[in-house]
Amino acid sequence: MTEDGRYETQVKIVKQECPDADEVDIVREFRRYEEEFLIPPEDALRSVVRKFQAAAGMEQTQISAPSRAEKKVDRFSELKADDRNVTIEVAVITYTPRVQMVRGEERQVAFGWIEDNPWEGSDNRERWDFKDWGEQAENLAPGSVVRLEGASVNEWNDKRSLNINRTTRVTVLREGGTPAMQVSSDPVDIATASANEGYVNLVARLISAKPDVIVKRDGSGEIDVVRGRLGDSSGSIGFLSWVPLEHEPGTLLKIDGASVRKFRETPEINIGDRTNVEVYHDTAFVSMDDLSQANKVAISDLRNGMRDIEVTVQVESWMQRSFSADDGTERVVRSGDVIDPSGRCRLTAWCEVDPKPGDFLHLTGARVQFWQGSPDLVVDEAEQVSNLSEAPWESIDPEQHWVEVDLTSMVSGGSRRGIRTSGTVVAVRPDSGIVERCPECRRVLRDGSCSEHGPQRGEEDLRLRFVIDDGVSNASLLMSKDASEAFLGMNQEAVKEEIAKEGRDGFVASLRKRVLAQRLSIKGRSIVDDQGAMLLADEAEQAQTTASEAANDVMQRWGVVL
Amino acid sequence: MIQEPARRIARQSAIRLFAQEYREASMTEEGSGEYDPSFVITKIGAKINRVLVCGVIDRMERREGDSGPNYSGHIRDPTGSHMFSVASFQPEMHPDFEELMARFESGDRFLMALVGKARWFETEDGGMFTSLRAEEFTEIDRECYTNWLVETAEATLRRIDAHSASLEADLNPASLEAAGVPEDLIDGIVLARGHYGDFDPEGYRVGILQALSMATGRTSLDEPPQPAAPTLEEAAQPEAAADKPAPEPGDAVDMIIETVRSRDAGEGVEYNDLVTALVHAGHSRESAEDAIDQARDQGEVMEPRFGFFQLVPE
Repeated sequence: MTEDGRYETQVKIVKQECPDADEVDIVREFRRYEEEFLIPPEDALRSVVRKFQAAAGMEQTQISAPSRAEKKVDRFSELKADDRNVTIEVAVITYTPRVQMVRGEERQVAFGWIEDNPWEGSDNRERWDFKDWGEQAENLAPGSVVRLEGASVNEWNDKRSLNINRTTRVTVLREGGTPAMQVSSDPVDIATASANEGYVNLVARLISAKPDVIVKRDGSGEIDVVRGRLGDSSGSIGFLSWVPLEHEPGTLLKIDGASVRKFRETPEINIGDRTNVEVYHDTAFVSMDDLSQANKVAISDLRNGMRDIEVTVQVESWMQRSFSADDGTERVVRSGDVIDPSGRCRLTAWCEVDPKPGDFLHLTGARVQFWQGSPDLVVDEAEQVSNLSEAPWESIDPEQHWVEVDLTSMVSGGSRRGIRTSGTVVAVRPDSGIVERCPECRRVLRDGSCSEHGPQRGEEDLRLRFVIDDGVSNASLLMSKDASEAFLGMNQEAVKEEIAKEGRDGFVASLRKRVLAQRLSIKGRSIVDDQGAMLLADEAEQAQTTASEAANDVMQRWGVVL
Repeated sequence: MIQEPARRIARQSAIRLFAQEYREASMTEEGSGEYDPSFVITKIGAKINRVLVCGVIDRMERREGDSGPNYSGHIRDPTGSHMFSVASFQPEMHPDFEELMARFESGDRFLMALVGKARWFETEDGGMFTSLRAEEFTEIDRECYTNWLVETAEATLRRIDAHSASLEADLNPASLEAAGVPEDLIDGIVLARGHYGDFDPEGYRVGILQALSMATGRTSLDEPPQPAAPTLEEAAQPEAAADKPAPEPGDAVDMIIETVRSRDAGEGVEYNDLVTALVHAGHSRESAEDAIDQARDQGEVMEPRFGFFQLVPE
């Protein structure tokens, strides 16, 4: 027996893994670790097991603690370093097979990335490395979503990863779509890299780099990183380096084994300790001067998560408000609507900037956040903002500023404000008309009940929901109360009376008669995400085209003679 | 909580097309997954899951089925008719259809717009009929109709243009894109060219010209489109068709009786087989359908079970 039962628990685990090992030897080994190497038995367990497995000529397997129950989690953050028999659903991001020599034998192993929370957007997920010991290549195709049962957590250098063992059961919940980027050793250009996620090799010029700090969400500390941009003739892309990067802007770099991952909607190059970065020489490569144009964007180009961009805007309105921050300090935030020839957005400044309506501002190093589904430009330092004395364009009248966008470009672009588009109504949603909203959160009540706040006395509201379509693309169209009243030419009360008289079906039928197959012209803003495109109308009206004019246009365009 | 995977299949856009192009399609593509969309592929490569069609109402019927009433109707445009149905499991549309049908039965004719999903059924001899399952429909005015005619004429011209451009290119997406085929048409053209082989889309220009001349006011709309729309052979070869006397409707009724007599093995003869037989004999699909109705109304044949015809016992 062990003295005082000091190592009893650990010995039991070792015995389970290596039944033939002698208990006295095991105890001696633990004592040696504790006394000679100053490693407590809990931490020595892994090494001790490995030693006895090797001694017995056994294949190395993961340790399963006695009677350790299945641990079922949704998020990586719920896992502890010594968790075994973990059940979790993950999205497979990459899968790279390798042949590894294990004790003189060739073994097929693979590593890659997995993300938790696989049914949500990628900005709401955590990514871990995994290692596949179980030759599960068929079940772990990139892009697939799988349930892992019996996986185990591995911690090395403070970094946790997941082991998929021979005994791990892998259930494919959703087949992989298009595989993540092919693992290829050839460098790709930035445009290609931006279109995919996965491993990538690049040759690109360093446009900018500055140190930054990431504060861990759990409050356990900070990580020094470097952020900046890389460019080539196909475009530019932001990067995030987890390792020091001591090259001057302008240096041409060959980057092997970086990874592309999306931060919100914006792809970003990740440089880690497995990435090899070296200086590269190519006199024909696009120059720094040409590249410095690369991060200049227009409002219509803005995407959630962009960083370090340069943009010129005209101020439409400006206001400031102060509030108490979480730590009790008074903070001031300034914001307003800004426009450029391509559209409209909000600008938020966390610094002292006080432009007047009509001023032109040049912003550098700005970032983009989403606010109510639309891009919001953000600047943090007053130095990022310069007030231009010379107008970059003839002053735009904000009242009349609607940028014409055809439906297909709208659907395939990012979320935009201040646009005008048109399409034919192909569906009238039967929930158009009077709805009741939750007084707490404005959600539409179903059977007098809010999905968040339970049964409520609803507040009546008017809204119309259609689908518009141009034969190639389509979008949902949502009209709020004001837009609906103007479109219908009747106020909410009148709509309510009509519904009381005709019934909801009758109201929808008359609405359908009025709009189905009719072309509408809409001013408003678009929200484009995974679910498709939605157009929130400020104003909608029947398009004013006569068929004979349109017919003549068509004949001209296609060379048709009657 | 582990959630069910969110299904995010984008809504299919409503293709604008004339009846002739849809009627002549004989190729389909079925989605592999439960929720994947299915398509009818036309000869010039329109990939049809959903359509927006307009025209004058031409037939409206109610049938009583085991699970409740279902409805069918025809909407006629310058090139022919679209057949559409409202299923018994779409009760929300039944009152609207009934209301329109009451007007139709009292002799009223009106223009309609219909958004529908592609449906098809195959006949025993390998033929295929395309039809539409209604999603939304309403009565429209003449202005709306002419706008649709113009839009559909342009959509068809765009497809003909892409189809012609594809003849010069290899049948793969990259070559077609390089040849100027718009992105949304590439898939359908690859499928169509592979299935239909060489096809001359000139026949579809007749409908386009008719639609555009109606929209420009050169052809009166008050004059409803010719009841016997040109058959596909006639449309493709207008001159040749002029020499050939159109088959008499009476011939058609005789032929129906003959077909039913020879083919009925006790179960009746299927509606589609009758139409196919008549089309093969040179009748247009419309006149074939008219003739079947006529034969039934005159008591020459009976329809003891929906879609199956037998001779009336002597």
